[in-house]
Amino acid sequence: MTRLWAGVWIVLLVWSCSSPERTGPEVSFTVPANFPKPLYAFERNPLTTSGVELGKALFNETLLSKDNTISCAECHSQPYGFTHHGHDVSHGIHNLKGTRNSLPLQNLAWESEFFWDGGVPDLDLVPIAPIISEVEMGETMTNVIDKLRATKKYPLLFKKAFGTEEITTARFLQSLSQFMLTLVSANSRYDHFVRKEGVTLTNDEQAGLHLFQQKCSSCHAGELFTDRSYRNNGLFLTSDADEGRFRITNQEKDRYTFRVPSLRNVAVTGPYMHDGRFYTLEAVLDHYAENVHDTPNLDPILKASNGQRGIALTQQERQQIIAFLKTLTDEEFLTNKQLAVP
Amino acid sequence: MKINPLFLLLFAFCTTVFTACKNEEPEPDGPSLTLEFDNRVGAQKLVLGTTPYKNDFGEEFSVTTLNYFISNVSLKKTDGTVIKFPDQYFLIRQADSETWEPKLKNVPEGDYSEVSFMVGVDSLKSASPIAGRTGVLDTYAYGEDNMWWGWNSGYIFFKFEGTSPVVPANGAGLRPFQYHVGGYGGYTNQAPNNIRTVTLPLNGTATVRKSISPTIHFVVNLHKFFNSTTALKLQETKSVHDPSVAAPLANNYVNMFTVDHIHND
Repeated sequence: MTRLWAGVWIVLLVWSCSSPERTGPEVSFTVPANFPKPLYAFERNPLTTSGVELGKALFNETLLSKDNTISCAECHSQPYGFTHHGHDVSHGIHNLKGTRNSLPLQNLAWESEFFWDGGVPDLDLVPIAPIISEVEMGETMTNVIDKLRATKKYPLLFKKAFGTEEITTARFLQSLSQFMLTLVSANSRYDHFVRKEGVTLTNDEQAGLHLFQQKCSSCHAGELFTDRSYRNNGLFLTSDADEGRFRITNQEKDRYTFRVPSLRNVAVTGPYMHDGRFYTLEAVLDHYAENVHDTPNLDPILKASNGQRGIALTQQERQQIIAFLKTLTDEEFLTNKQLAVP
Repeated sequence: MKINPLFLLLFAFCTTVFTACKNEEPEPDGPSLTLEFDNRVGAQKLVLGTTPYKNDFGEEFSVTTLNYFISNVSLKKTDGTVIKFPDQYFLIRQADSETWEPKLKNVPEGDYSEVSFMVGVDSLKSASPIAGRTGVLDTYAYGEDNMWWGWNSGYIFFKFEGTSPVVPANGAGLRPFQYHVGGYGGYTNQAPNNIRTVTLPLNGTATVRKSISPTIHFVVNLHKFFNSTTALKLQETKSVHDPSVAAPLANNYVNMFTVDHIHND
């Protein structure tokens, strides 16, 4: 009998040790064939069906904002590549204006630094920034967690995802990460073309791809269309110009530099640049061809040895590049019901 | 009673499993050491609200908030041995007297003659996974009195706010000053680092015994914040919210701390 009880004791101990932090089947994260290795530390936060489901509910939850009016999805709307379509800078509670254009949320597992200046170096910490920003959601983390605890719905969703009803900051943030990590865009016409999945590009698109490779891909590099660096692309500086990454590092070389954004789904994520100053892709291409300003830290790539600035592009070449950029639109991603507002 | 050897084996296995399970580990009941932070302005007790104080430059001010993190405490024995306490983080908040005398747990018995601590949160913890950020390191703990920067991820190590007649009135007719210091160097160590360590002799010994859990009574003098390494005038600097310009403030506030006395009881 004693032996039997000892056995039961062991089972109990082993059970209590095997982390109660995860329940439900794990979701395997698939890396698209043409993508590099992801950077997110999945071992710290393995994706589960119920974790992703909880994250999606939270992503669309207006309780995250002070006056319960704004969810993450407000400024990160799926049909527009998870951006705030048509807004140069984002609007938060009480219609307060931010200072920067909301970035698309896509392929976040391949990013290691977030926002235009890279000020947040861990996806799990990203949601705190908009929640506590006075001009975005204007809320405290304390209130957010307390509001969720007071609902009927969330304790149950947390139990499904993490084994108990306890709602903690870490669980809250990890489930949001789990959902955001599922926002993978890798099925554009371009992707099907490079993976030789029976898609061909038109002559203009092909010409655009070649021009892009020659003239744009040193920064918008690889299959993610960004080299993840911070650069000054010669935007005209207004008197109150945003200093970009300098705000984070305080290093002179970083003044006026911003993260090179991915160009996936770029046709639907306008307006463009950190302050949303260009409303069309034509305006962006015109900037690079004709209007690059020689400001401090202008990226050397945009300044030839003869002093010529920008990227030489004829009108036809600009149109061809735009034709190519439109092949990066991933209709499947933009309309996937699993990612949509419930 | 005859003990079955198999049972002993099972018991040993259980114990191993049990101790391997970190969260389940009971806290050893060893002696502790209390760090008492007694915030003052010169020879006056610090009271939040409208109490007027004057800095060394004759500038009048009153204090609404004073918070700071204390971490990575280490104690030096009289024989030179240093004992570190890396996993104990404290947030001192003047508004909450319960936080003024944090207890350092599991202090080995001995005679200690020097104390050292960080004002702030070390870079390792500042860049650590979210799951390990509990207690005072959890953003849930802050309410409206936030100690975390969202836009430039990291803890606000030191927060000192109040009002002063020498500060120009804002749109709402108030004259606030706000000093927020943080910055741990960033994940790549390229960003400003304002972590500062204070090392102080105890001018005596703290004798930790099974039955003695001493208290080190620190006096923390806000006069030094305004005037020690650098002269900081309210009229000239009313607001600091950015790690890149906060170094002079950190260099000053390390001088606020002195050991006043020790209670060995």
